[in-house]
Amino acid sequence: MHRGTAKPQRARPEVLSVSLCVGKMTAQEVRLCGLLLREHFGEVVEKVGTHLVKNGAQNLRTIIHETGLSLDLIKKSLCVLVQHGVCVFRSGRRGPGSPTEYRTCPDLILRILRYPRYIYTAKTLYGDTGELIIEELLQRGHMTMSGTVKTVADRLTQNMEEGRSMDYNEVTSAFSKLVETHFLQRCPPMAAAAAKTDTATPATPATPGTPAAPVSTTLPTPESFPDCYKVPHVTLIGRGKRQLSTEDGEDQRNAKRPKLDTENHGDEGIYWQVNFERFHLHFRDQAIIGAVANKLDQTSSEIVRTMLRMSEVTTLPTATCTKPLSANEIFKSLPATYNIPRPILDQYLTLLVDDPMEFVGKAGESGGGMYVVNLNRALANLARATLESVVQERFGSRSARIFRLLLRKRHLEQKQVEDFAMIPAKEAKDMLYTLLSQNLVQLQEIPKTPDYAPSRTFYLYTVNQLPTARMLLQNSFKTVANLIERRLFESSNSKRLLEKSQRIEAILASLQASGAEPEQLTEVEEMITAPEKQQLESLRLHINKLDSAENQVDETIFLLESYVNSTATSTS
Amino acid sequence: MAGRGGRGRGRRMMSFSVEAVGINRGDSLPPSIQQPTPLYPVMEHKPLPLTGGEEVEYLLALKQEFRGAMKSLPFFIQPAAAHRDVERYSDKYHSSEQTDSQMDWNPDWKRFPKELRVHVRKTPKDGVAAVRSSKAASGPKKKKVKEKEEVLIKLESLEKKEEQESSEEEEGEEKKKQEEEEAEAEEEYDEEEFEEETDYIMSYFDNGEEFGGDSDENMDEAIY
Repeated sequence: MHRGTAKPQRARPEVLSVSLCVGKMTAQEVRLCGLLLREHFGEVVEKVGTHLVKNGAQNLRTIIHETGLSLDLIKKSLCVLVQHGVCVFRSGRRGPGSPTEYRTCPDLILRILRYPRYIYTAKTLYGDTGELIIEELLQRGHMTMSGTVKTVADRLTQNMEEGRSMDYNEVTSAFSKLVETHFLQRCPPMAAAAAKTDTATPATPATPGTPAAPVSTTLPTPESFPDCYKVPHVTLIGRGKRQLSTEDGEDQRNAKRPKLDTENHGDEGIYWQVNFERFHLHFRDQAIIGAVANKLDQTSSEIVRTMLRMSEVTTLPTATCTKPLSANEIFKSLPATYNIPRPILDQYLTLLVDDPMEFVGKAGESGGGMYVVNLNRALANLARATLESVVQERFGSRSARIFRLLLRKRHLEQKQVEDFAMIPAKEAKDMLYTLLSQNLVQLQEIPKTPDYAPSRTFYLYTVNQLPTARMLLQNSFKTVANLIERRLFESSNSKRLLEKSQRIEAILASLQASGAEPEQLTEVEEMITAPEKQQLESLRLHINKLDSAENQVDETIFLLESYVNSTATSTS
Repeated sequence: MAGRGGRGRGRRMMSFSVEAVGINRGDSLPPSIQQPTPLYPVMEHKPLPLTGGEEVEYLLALKQEFRGAMKSLPFFIQPAAAHRDVERYSDKYHSSEQTDSQMDWNPDWKRFPKELRVHVRKTPKDGVAAVRSSKAASGPKKKKVKEKEEVLIKLESLEKKEEQESSEEEEGEEKKKQEEEEAEAEEEYDEEEFEEETDYIMSYFDNGEEFGGDSDENMDEAIY
């Protein structure tokens, strides 16, 4: 077989790459990806993005062919996707000179849902400056350090009172801190990526029969480059500039645009992006700390926090538990403000080890006892608690009792379920079958004879945590997509009203700026009638609720996702 | 289950003992359901209220602000405006608003595949320029123009010249010139970047919308 000479053969590897990718995503994910892309990048990008998600790696020509969009729009959309790190491209997968292929992954797009949380976390850790840095980077995909610092300084200056301004230095130091703690990382350099593909490609023509699928799956990660977390020396002196005319939104938007000045800052060509994995580790740690605080008390959560902070640097992102820490080390690292004497610490540690949630484990006796935080087990237990509470809230506490019983005892016959749960047989059956029909409980047949005769077969009920968690994850994706859909419906329903109120607000703002009489202002204000105002108010309430719900479902998504991912890493 | 046949007279036979699933001798089997489950099933348990608090409020504000901000960034790509029934006077103002936001994105092309390199056309500054440029570009062979920046600049300067000399013949000449320029640009382009893919006709996929479009009608107006 020769590659690339005849068209029918070109099609084959594509089919293969499609099948490689299909296993990774579901209809719910595709739908949610589409909605997220539409909301943030417009309908054209949505079309291109969902096409890529559905069909796997594709080259430009195929995309044009199959989406039916104009070349110009597709190019722009791909640029947008690449800019935001949602889409990766590589050329020469099928031998040198083959067309560039574009690939995207639903996981990358679904992160858009979590953007508010990344920004908020940056704010809690590094204040307003950190918040704006992350926000700018998320909005623009990747930026140079100097560009980010300038934009952020300008924005901060904008919000300060007259006569004050933000020094570039302060923003630069916040930026460096974010890089030091790995929340930001360099985008992998293009030259290196190209070199990588070059070294990879010579192997492929030698074996023409096998498409170079493995090459495409091992994309260079940003961390594989040595300079990933190295802050370049940037010569940037000055202060944030204030936009002269601060009248309305139009000008603020102008202020956000990076100034196109030609001076050199010494970091041209070095682009930075948000390290989502690092944020996810932080979220995981926070989830564990929060759970300990809820389950035990504040003090024990502080101990766990100290342990996690101590091992932040030494533990690999994929590790199942932290490096062992001796009680002595923990004691020394505890902030003095907590005021925990040594014997009390020992008691707390024993308590944590004995807790059924198994957040903390004992790894040895040396050094006054070696302790670890069981990261993966903590995730599994948190996911289990999530499943339990889902069953409890949807089917009532007695169904949850059956569910928990099955989780603990693994396999039970129907009669045993009724007895152990101490629920009347008829009701227990009803609940059990409801759970079974919802796929939360599975049925395992064990025949005594090979003919599977029902009278000689054991029917064992069981709960499989991992598949159930996967199912709930998909349900959560569906929930978020439904929420977005509903929100779009609500706002499109009152589109006219929204536009009107926007126009009136604009008029009011311009009137106020020109110093109009109060009567004039009230006159304009009254253009929105009382019932309209009421309608707007209730619309705002609904939309806030839907948006807030999206954020909160995302927390569940994060937990379940981390749990599912952690099982993947611990088995391999 | 033949041994238990006597019990099941006049009732559907099950392949298993129905007692085991909780249906006793006297009970009738539940009716079979022959319609899809309801789209919005009744909720037996009321969902819990959303959690509130400062953090939640702030996240909500961040989310809404972010969504709003994205809409005004150059990354938010507007679809090509649909052809409407009649051309309106206000159309050209709308179109300039739309493309406006796409102008201030200057990506570092080193980080993108070569084939994506597209140069944003400068929005025509006034109606006449729009007519001229579209007229010049909508020639038969002009369908796939992906000009280089310098050519664009050249074109623009030519356009400006054009405006000053308003005679029709000269315009024709200019048009030819422009066509030549563009043809040159295409050749250059093909040689440089699409060497490998000679088995494709470059112009195949473009439907020429960008250049034709509603300004065709405009063109008529200008001529007559």
